[in-house]
Amino acid sequence: MPLDTSTYNLALLRVDGRRWNELRQQGNTKIQCIITGPNERDASKNTSSSASTAPTAGGAGATLAVSIMIAPFATVDRKRRGRNDKRVQEMQTTIACGLAAAVQGQAYGPRSTIHIALNVLSQDGSLLAGLINAASLALVDAGVPMTDYLVACTAGSTSSYAAADEAADPLLDLNTQEEQELPFLTLATLGATDKVVAMVCESRVQLTRLEGMMATAADGCKAARDFLDGVVRDKGELMVQEGAIGRGEVVSSMDLD
Amino acid sequence: MADRRRINGPVGATTPPIFDKPAKPAVAKTRDSIRKIFLKTGITPSASGSAYLELENPNPKRTGNTSLKLMHRSQRGKDAVTCETRAKGILAYTLETALRGAIIADRWPKSGVDIIVTVVEGDQDRDSPESQKDDEGWDMMNVLSGCITVASAAIADAGIDCVDTVAGGVAALVCKDNKTAPTIVMDPVVAEHGNILAACCVAYLPTRDEITNMWFKGQLPGADMIVYDKLMEKSLVACRCANRVIIQELNETVKKGQGIS
Amino acid sequence: MSSTSQHLLLSPAELAYLHGSLSLTTPGPIRPDGRAPAQFRPLTAETGILPGTNGSARICFADGTEAVVGVKAEVEKTPVSPYEFVASTEGRKDHSTSIPQKKKGRKSKKPTEDEETTMDVDDEDDDEEEAGDGSAAVEKVRGSPDWVELSVEIPGLRDDDSGTVFLTSMLTEALLADGEFVKKLWINRRFHWKLYLDIILISPPLSYPLPLLSLTTHLALLATRLPRLKSEADEDPMFDDDWAAATFLYPRQDTSSGKASNKSKQSSAAAAAAAPASRPPITLLVMAVGDNIIFDPSKEELAVADSAVAVSVAEGPSSESEPESDSIPATTTKRNLHLLSVRTIDPPSRLTPPGVPNSVNASAWGTMTAATPTTTTTPASANEGGAAKHPDARVTETEDVVGVWKAPRGGAKFAMLGAMVAKVLERGGVAEEVLDGLEGVDLG
Repeated sequence: MPLDTSTYNLALLRVDGRRWNELRQQGNTKIQCIITGPNERDASKNTSSSASTAPTAGGAGATLAVSIMIAPFATVDRKRRGRNDKRVQEMQTTIACGLAAAVQGQAYGPRSTIHIALNVLSQDGSLLAGLINAASLALVDAGVPMTDYLVACTAGSTSSYAAADEAADPLLDLNTQEEQELPFLTLATLGATDKVVAMVCESRVQLTRLEGMMATAADGCKAARDFLDGVVRDKGELMVQEGAIGRGEVVSSMDLD
Repeated sequence: MADRRRINGPVGATTPPIFDKPAKPAVAKTRDSIRKIFLKTGITPSASGSAYLELENPNPKRTGNTSLKLMHRSQRGKDAVTCETRAKGILAYTLETALRGAIIADRWPKSGVDIIVTVVEGDQDRDSPESQKDDEGWDMMNVLSGCITVASAAIADAGIDCVDTVAGGVAALVCKDNKTAPTIVMDPVVAEHGNILAACCVAYLPTRDEITNMWFKGQLPGADMIVYDKLMEKSLVACRCANRVIIQELNETVKKGQGIS
Repeated sequence: MSSTSQHLLLSPAELAYLHGSLSLTTPGPIRPDGRAPAQFRPLTAETGILPGTNGSARICFADGTEAVVGVKAEVEKTPVSPYEFVASTEGRKDHSTSIPQKKKGRKSKKPTEDEETTMDVDDEDDDEEEAGDGSAAVEKVRGSPDWVELSVEIPGLRDDDSGTVFLTSMLTEALLADGEFVKKLWINRRFHWKLYLDIILISPPLSYPLPLLSLTTHLALLATRLPRLKSEADEDPMFDDDWAAATFLYPRQDTSSGKASNKSKQSSAAAAAAAPASRPPITLLVMAVGDNIIFDPSKEELAVADSAVAVSVAEGPSSESEPESDSIPATTTKRNLHLLSVRTIDPPSRLTPPGVPNSVNASAWGTMTAATPTTTTTPASANEGGAAKHPDARVTETEDVVGVWKAPRGGAKFAMLGAMVAKVLERGGVAEEVLDGLEGVDLG
């Protein structure tokens, strides 16, 4: 079904009822992330597994190993992906390299590995962005030292490349249907700063539109960062209430940023 | 001019051949013995141990046999003997379970056994493609029991320490039609019996009276433990029968060896 | 077996201790986590977690293992084999008359007790007709094992790993064993549902994952709904867009009388006619240590098992041998459990390293040093040579020494296997307990 973009002006609503700059609070993309490690690096295992790895701290720190598993039932039509799917591999590498910039790997030895296993249970657009956010949040939850959250967001443009519409407006956080129709990019920034860690754009788009899209995505990243931070703080508060952490210890660490 | 270089297909539509349903083999007798087994060890000189097994065919017109061959060689491996069986995934896995219980692994540290079983022919009824689709699972049990028996003979032939020989046996709960009560048969031939309700394949150590592997599947009428126990007992009888063949063959091999030296 | 044996860091001494405490008979086995022998680990479960699937479930065990199952269904054309074609042309005449009749019977909702009473016979004459000439069987509800595709995904293991293949085949076997399940997927003579069951173990396998995967699959299947069929007979199937009207693959007893009566009578009645109150199978892991039978073993416990068995049971329709149970509406009073499959699992204990008793251990001032004090051979060969010479060494080779771990040899006794299966099936036994527990899960 072709997507009707005629109503996609800044003021109007989108297919799923959002405005142009709204993030999906309850998107249908569902990702679960599991961090194991740091473990001692297992040389024999590294070569055989399909995980993508990236060293941190210029090789002096722990290695990040990212593996993504997309459930066959994640998409609308059931599709089974092999473990060596090239698209998945590329996403793995992107995430591993992106996170390597944020993780303070020198806290661990160069012979240790942090395994990041991402399970995609339901998929509705902004997959890469979701994966990055999930991994980032899980790393914080695991207590891995990081300079800041690595947050990502997608941004698109309200008309397709072929339309050559100069006045096209940017669009935040696309769903599957929009991703198929419209040009979009995924942008990952380090926290609320404008430091871009990763950017992936696989569709054709006029150069003039790019800047607007990037700016929109960066704003989205900021919002995502605040959201993740809120989740972490809530969790922290809960842990304090339950007495898992001593109070004084928490206050000092929470006030760091 | 007509094209004489090729044989052209027929003009117009054709229908796929439809075969008559094969006549159901007239089997009225219930089986309380297993089929005759031909077992020979030491057939592959290059392997440490080998064995060949052939089952008597119920239908003399067909030449189909369940034939298996096993070779194994010692290799450097992990701390204990690990069996690595390469056959159809699930069969290999089950066979490995059955054999691992019998082999005394700690006497052979840091070594492994490769067990290669080649199923030359299973005894499924090739005449009726119709019946093949559902019978697959039942047939596997027969193949597995053959695999267990022949592998055990080959391991003994190779001189690998075992607590006992392992013998495989199958028993099934079959009913010819719905009028008669289901009966338990040993070593069922899938093609012979109309309707198999449940079957049980057991790997058994006769001297120790122990079971190393069991595979039961099917549906028993109600939660009837009595039927289940009977089925198990019958398959143990089948195992003992198969074991006699192994023992006899091994004895002969020993005698032959003594004669030469 | 790598799925069970990995990360097991227990020394032979620890294994021996564990084995000893688990095989105690007088106070019963003492499990490391203090459970009773037939007690399950606590678990959290939820269903309907994935809106994009026909049914889904997630179960977390207390030890952190977690599995997600998604069920997706597609409409598929039933291939007609030439054999059936011949048969169907023969049987065309009565086919055209019998279908509307059947429809009418369902729609007007003949008294359900009528259906229930004929149920038991129904099964039989189904087979009878099939055996008779095959023509009547064509318009009967049929099923083929090909209609279900089950996949298991375990992190860190390849898809064709033997352990994964074994798990897949065991779960499939249990599901297909009674042949009733696939009949639920029948739409009409030309179409059927193709059901894809994707089982994903989220966490690394901390214990043998079979029970977890099986229970999760059970829940997912219970939560699975298929769109309501709007078309009739052999038309191309048309379905109701309203998801609220979708019918459960496994109709529930309490809803079939109340909630479902206004919405989805027709197809739920159709499914109910096949098997009222039947439930998907569950597979339980049972192990034996000494004379004790222990359920739901953890990884450490499995590492000292003498034998381990996976038993699949399903709750089937009440059989006619217990007619009084039909009249009792409450499902919890009595369950009719069917044994579907039993398989021995290769216990990882067989791969554990054996301990060395002091009597033959040179470094523990055993007699070994006295026996071969002046030998120049390497310790390993001395040990082997000693085994032949020294009577103590011979004993330790063949017999059990208290407190010294030795990987179990041989198999399980016949009676022990029987007892393990019986314990699962017994009234008020573990299978019932688990089914009761799972029944409490809200299916959304």
